[in-house]
Amino acid sequence: MLKLFLWLRYLRKKKIVFLSIAAVALSAALLIVVASLFGGFIDVFEQSAVEAMGDVVLEPPVKFSKYEELIRRLEQRSVVEAATATLSAEGLLHLGKGDVRGVEIWGVSNLDTRFSILERISGNEHPVSRNEHSVCGFVGIGVVAEPDEETDEYDFDAVKKVIGQEAVLTTGAVIKAQEDSGAVTVRRKTVRFTIADVVFTGVYYLDKRLVYLPIEEVQRVLYPNESEGVAGQIQIKLRAEAEADAALAEIRGVWEAFATEQLGWEPYLIKGTAIVTAKQMQSRYVAEFRKQMGVLLLIFSVVSLSAVLLIFCIFYMIVETRQKDIAIIKSCGATSSSVALIFVGFGICVGLVGSGMGMILGDIVTKNINTIEEWIRIIFGLKLWKSSVYMFSKIPSEVDWNSALLIALSAVIAAAVGSLIPAIIAVRTRPVNVLRYE
Amino acid sequence: MYKIILSFRYLLKRRISYLAFLAVALCVFIVVVVMTVITGLVRDFKDNNHKWVGDCVVGTESLVGFAYYEDFIKRIEESDFIEGVSAVVKSYALVRGRNSEESIGVEIMGIEPVKHSRVTGFGETLYHRKNDVSKAFEPAYDPNLAGCVVGIDRWLVRDDKGKYSYEVSPVEAALLVSCFPLTTKGALAKAGTELVNTKTFYYSDTSHSGLAGVDSSFIYLPFEEAQLLCGMAGAVKRVSAIHIKFKPNVKLADGCERVAALWKRFVEEKKGEKQAELLDTVTVQSWKDYRREFIAAMEKEQTMLTIMFALVGVTTVFIVFVVFYMIVSHKSKDVGILKSIGVSKVDVIELFSCFAFLMGLLGSAVGVFGGWLFLLKINRIEDFLFEHFGFQLWDRTMYAIGDIPSVIDLKVLVVIIVSAIGACLAGAFLPSWQAAKLEPVETLQVSQL
Repeated sequence: MLKLFLWLRYLRKKKIVFLSIAAVALSAALLIVVASLFGGFIDVFEQSAVEAMGDVVLEPPVKFSKYEELIRRLEQRSVVEAATATLSAEGLLHLGKGDVRGVEIWGVSNLDTRFSILERISGNEHPVSRNEHSVCGFVGIGVVAEPDEETDEYDFDAVKKVIGQEAVLTTGAVIKAQEDSGAVTVRRKTVRFTIADVVFTGVYYLDKRLVYLPIEEVQRVLYPNESEGVAGQIQIKLRAEAEADAALAEIRGVWEAFATEQLGWEPYLIKGTAIVTAKQMQSRYVAEFRKQMGVLLLIFSVVSLSAVLLIFCIFYMIVETRQKDIAIIKSCGATSSSVALIFVGFGICVGLVGSGMGMILGDIVTKNINTIEEWIRIIFGLKLWKSSVYMFSKIPSEVDWNSALLIALSAVIAAAVGSLIPAIIAVRTRPVNVLRYE
Repeated sequence: MYKIILSFRYLLKRRISYLAFLAVALCVFIVVVVMTVITGLVRDFKDNNHKWVGDCVVGTESLVGFAYYEDFIKRIEESDFIEGVSAVVKSYALVRGRNSEESIGVEIMGIEPVKHSRVTGFGETLYHRKNDVSKAFEPAYDPNLAGCVVGIDRWLVRDDKGKYSYEVSPVEAALLVSCFPLTTKGALAKAGTELVNTKTFYYSDTSHSGLAGVDSSFIYLPFEEAQLLCGMAGAVKRVSAIHIKFKPNVKLADGCERVAALWKRFVEEKKGEKQAELLDTVTVQSWKDYRREFIAAMEKEQTMLTIMFALVGVTTVFIVFVVFYMIVSHKSKDVGILKSIGVSKVDVIELFSCFAFLMGLLGSAVGVFGGWLFLLKINRIEDFLFEHFGFQLWDRTMYAIGDIPSVIDLKVLVVIIVSAIGACLAGAFLPSWQAAKLEPVETLQVSQL
């Protein structure tokens, strides 16, 4: 009770304590914002791969046929919700006068259902009638337009005008010239297709590079001599309750049986097939990003040590000016640990209040980061976040509460550490010296 | 004089002031190290861009290109401020190895290697033909073949220390390069046939510009061959850009202005001629404007980091404030005595400001010294951490970064020191003002003694 009374008294009488609270709050808020934004960026980066390729990707070293059978077998498994085949290649796209760019062609099944209406610029389920045009494809928004230099936003009305236009795509068609030697001949092949819709996923590198065509069309262009359709990759969505490791093992089992029975492949080709989760595919980059985040947080943590020094200064001042209080308490029989606890406890209180305020401030800043960034652009003309640099159209704005709690805990410990030496000085106070008449 | 003596006295005798000093030194240390590294990276990036582009570019973004470039080159070569000029063809292409099924999308750049090396740092980026740039497109294994120089990240991999595993001599490899040839209207030139031009080039060298985006996506071809592939070698030949280098004494802005004026006059003269409309799409840009999109991104990172450090630095202002507040509280009698012998309020503020200045200066000096020592060994520290703990600041197999920059930029250093002193002065202002307001009659009362 006495401790609480003294803490409140010091807080009321020594306004300077609010400075230490402000310093703790500022440091904690900054660390929380940095951790949340960086962590959010990493999460979105991982999630973007899942959204683009599914949970698991199966990719053999060479293209393969009879993939419908593999999909049928996979979908019979309890861990798999759905599977689809893709066939990709790089190409050059001629969009109009003097407008040529390098693109990645993705041949996909069920083009219409692959993207949600939200991701499609037209907003229609069937924007271009299939009867009018022989080949229809979707293009990423970055393929047909550039985001505004200042606002980093696309002009959707201008983009809509592209829908229905014809584009010419060139890529290489594989013609096996000599079956016995296995040597291949590749001839350039062009495809005229109608842009049926424009896709905006919000992931810059996908929007900038990808052209989506029906897989049958890509098969026809790339492998004209193949009697059966071929695929380069199988993308698999797992059921929500499926565990990744167990699912991977099960999928590998299905693949090995399929490749042996249906394709008659040699073991080295079967074993050489990559079956990984989309997150595992990104793991190297994610590890690097996490390391960068760690380094940044370490740097800011070291600078935030100033807050510990500040708490030390303020508490030292309080101890110096409150020598008589301490002496009276000690002369009334308070033990050294009780006296120490007054100051360490007060330090913890400062840490708790400061980190609490820091969490609130961090939460407000993080959740409104896109608005803040927009205001900075309007006032200072400085566009801090660009999708072409940071991959995504929006800044991730979810607070990483695990990191926030860890930072808050560290702030409380730091505040306690800052108050430790002043507490020791207080403990060493001798009532007989302080309370002497002279 | 007494201000300096008292300042030193407070600094040495009041142990609490060591804390403020320590906080200033710590902040300066961190800021010096981080800003040196970031500034170094930005500086290297800008230098590499400058070397890759030259000083000025007269060019168009349209892949159709523009005509009459030879006439313009002749004209500007006569100018006294031009050191070198190089015409360039740029486009997109599909490239495939001879026995490979896979094609990759790349950007191609058609250049005359000797001329281009006079304007840019192209010659220095080569490995095998560094000393004889004229042979850049002659494969060492058969000089009669049409060669190509490949961006290094397209050809070689970096080891975990960021070093490339160069071959002793270039390996024989054929690359089939395909482009869309375009008409002057931008339409496909070979409509009705295969639509693309394809030619086989042989790998002759790699180019390491130090720009990750360039080294991973560009292939350099002989100028005339690139013109043919892109459909720019008709009766009126076209190019995508003209890269220009100014003489050493010419300022960048002045040089660009003079080129722009020459270009404007040239366009006027060509009006009405065949394909003259293509000249309207051409702009004259300095290398900074030409690569603005990339450079601005790096500069923004630097700005954001500076803002964050400024926010954290506010805590240092708080510390200085608290320390000065305590010192003023303890030294109220000193202030009373000073004021009783006629020292003015301004002099009292000056006394504490002098103390704050001293604290900022000494704190900065210690921070800078510590930062300099750390930076001196930063690459060795990283090597040690990598060898013993597998930790690298940047994974060199992923980032096109060599050594960590460790050369302190004097301008940045001055800004940091001035900011640190400014922070100390700001933190000390209120306590100084409070001290100045003290009345001797109150502080020197018998009851206060």
